[in-house]
Amino acid sequence: MSLETAWLALLGLLLAGYFVLGGYDYGVQLLHPWLGERTGREADRNAALDAIAPFFLGNEVWLVAFAGVLFGAFPHLEGTLLSGLYPLIVAILVGLVLGNAAIQLRRRSRTARGRRRWDALIVFGGALPAVCWGLVVGLLLHGVPRRADGSFHVGFGDVFSPFVLACGATTTLLFAAHGAAFVALRSAPELAARARHSGLALLRAVGLVGALPLLLTLFGAGASMTNKATSAVITALFAAALGGAWWSLSGGHHVRAFTATCCATALPVLLVGLGHYPYLLISEAGHGLTVDHAVTDDATLKILSAFGVLVVPVILAYQAWSWWAFRGRTGLRHPGYF
Amino acid sequence: MSAAELARLQFAATTGIHWLFVILTMGLVPLVAIMHTRAAFTRDPAKRAVRERMTRFWGQLYVINYAVGIVTGLVMEFQFGLSWSGLSKFAGNVFGAPLALETLIAFFAESTFLGMWIFGWGRLRKGVHVTLIWLVALTAYASGYWILIANGFMQHPVGYEVRDGAAYLTDFSALLTNSSALVALGHIALAALTTGGVFVAGVSAYHFLRRTQETELFRGSLRLGLWVAMVSSFFVVIVGELQRPVIERTQPMKDAVLENSGVAEVQAQLVREHGPGDYVPWQDTMRISMDVMTIIGNTVSTITFIAVILLWRNRLMRWRPVLWVLVATVPFPFIASAGGWVVREVGRQPWLVYGELTVDDALSHVSTASLAVSCTVFIAVFLALAVTNWTLITQFARRGPDATQLGVTEPLPAEAEPVTVAVI
Repeated sequence: MSLETAWLALLGLLLAGYFVLGGYDYGVQLLHPWLGERTGREADRNAALDAIAPFFLGNEVWLVAFAGVLFGAFPHLEGTLLSGLYPLIVAILVGLVLGNAAIQLRRRSRTARGRRRWDALIVFGGALPAVCWGLVVGLLLHGVPRRADGSFHVGFGDVFSPFVLACGATTTLLFAAHGAAFVALRSAPELAARARHSGLALLRAVGLVGALPLLLTLFGAGASMTNKATSAVITALFAAALGGAWWSLSGGHHVRAFTATCCATALPVLLVGLGHYPYLLISEAGHGLTVDHAVTDDATLKILSAFGVLVVPVILAYQAWSWWAFRGRTGLRHPGYF
Repeated sequence: MSAAELARLQFAATTGIHWLFVILTMGLVPLVAIMHTRAAFTRDPAKRAVRERMTRFWGQLYVINYAVGIVTGLVMEFQFGLSWSGLSKFAGNVFGAPLALETLIAFFAESTFLGMWIFGWGRLRKGVHVTLIWLVALTAYASGYWILIANGFMQHPVGYEVRDGAAYLTDFSALLTNSSALVALGHIALAALTTGGVFVAGVSAYHFLRRTQETELFRGSLRLGLWVAMVSSFFVVIVGELQRPVIERTQPMKDAVLENSGVAEVQAQLVREHGPGDYVPWQDTMRISMDVMTIIGNTVSTITFIAVILLWRNRLMRWRPVLWVLVATVPFPFIASAGGWVVREVGRQPWLVYGELTVDDALSHVSTASLAVSCTVFIAVFLALAVTNWTLITQFARRGPDATQLGVTEPLPAEAEPVTVAVI
């Protein structure tokens, strides 16, 4: 495996990690007013937010690391991609800023009214990135209007096409279902049961809405994939993960169900990466910016690799440690802060 | 406003607000780590309880402040690609590496470990828990190092060569030992410690003015804060001055503006070297910022020096006028650090990478309308968050240790109502 392939794999891992971990954050953010409401003395604590709390700060940084590696290893993609997707990236960032701050500051508010305001921001801050990431995935699958110099700008018509919108809706529902599966896994039995019901309904919705982009693609108005066979396999795996999640959740196997939704949230990233390989950004199937053109200079890549070999295993180790340290179901016994 | 002005305003607003929160984060975290370590290694239960309350009280203020620091930091990572794609086109091979390493080595670890520290009370072993806050402190400063390596390349590019209009990395160790980055790192680390120390001392002084019952807690805090602020504010001025020879050597225009002599000559020389253009940054803004920073630095140094002397036999805690002065000093290190940022970054103009790439040439092809919208939204959101956050910090600082939420375990419902259990 060449160095640039290794860095592409790391870039994919970071984005997929962000989709999985940030994905359940957004899902829980979307659902929390309905799922985690408490009454009486603990009214200021939300049980659904308690489920994500210890992991929240460690989840969002996967996106930061993705942005860092994108700039460090693929600078020629970074500039084009972020400025081309300008309105969407700005929307994602605004959502992230508001949602992230709201989760951290919600319980600093003394009144119920103040907390309700933060709650609204938490929902908004989950919904906006979830929708916009779906739109970004849709655009990357479909191809963007690249100019001769390689730059592009997504316009109103590019974003508001049926395929891209359907991708946005699918991702949002998928993240919500993923969040419900996480709450079912982490919470006390009564809440877990409610989360399971919501999760099942949401998974059915993902199946229904997710069929749209697939149908549009089959009729030629959707994604234009470079590697058709690989894409078909990944799509089949996605469908299998959804089915598996539904099956496990209805049987009450929360670990299996959550594992399946993790796969389902990671697979769209794999589809964008492998479905177009060696292209990273296409205008249509088989035309676009390749890995070779996007990657940084060899000398820089070698230096980055020397650090990467040491740092990436350490990152994975301490993230795994934090998941292990806060395993198990949540309860009032655990210090709550968010 | 033109697209370039809007993009600059957007970047400046994000960085400026980020910086005001980062400086307190970097200033408070070592103090919280020291408090936590002392608490963990105290045997006497009564003393340990006080020190633990102390850690949780200051820890909570630190964590509230961190909330805006992290979200603005998140936006920062994307700003270069959003508005300044010319930077990645020209210097991506060089400039991207420190940013990538910052996210992987520092930002990632800082955030994960802080999450674990916040929720680790009563759940993680004491030694592990204390180690976590030290790791947070360490990675916060590591983050500062990598960011300044990237920023140092913009101020004084080293370790590269230009081939076909793009920069290529030729000497990584030169990049990592850029004097423009290292001296600045020393300066801002000391500035951050001054800010944190003055903050802790000021808030403690406020509680003595209100005749707090928590004398032991706030006496310990006041001592720690004042000593840290006294030592670091003394050295921050010295290390700040050490930057002048570096600037003189690497940025003749910034030097000329600060010295207020020879600006016209340097302008003429730069025109000869780089072609026609205006190479003079906003002179008045820079000089005023420089003066404000210097005056505040010396004043804070003097105030903390006197206050440390007055700590002898607890005279300070009984002398109200001096306590008021300490409370009033809290905002000034923030103003000074904003001044330092202006001198460094406005003084770099019109260059994005000094001598190689101008700010105007690096601008992305984004429409003015999109920039106007995004700029307005970002500034509105950041200002609202900053004001809300500072209000919350003030509230929690004033309410004292009793209102601390960090690390509180609530009793189980069964424990709260033992009578019901007995009846059944």
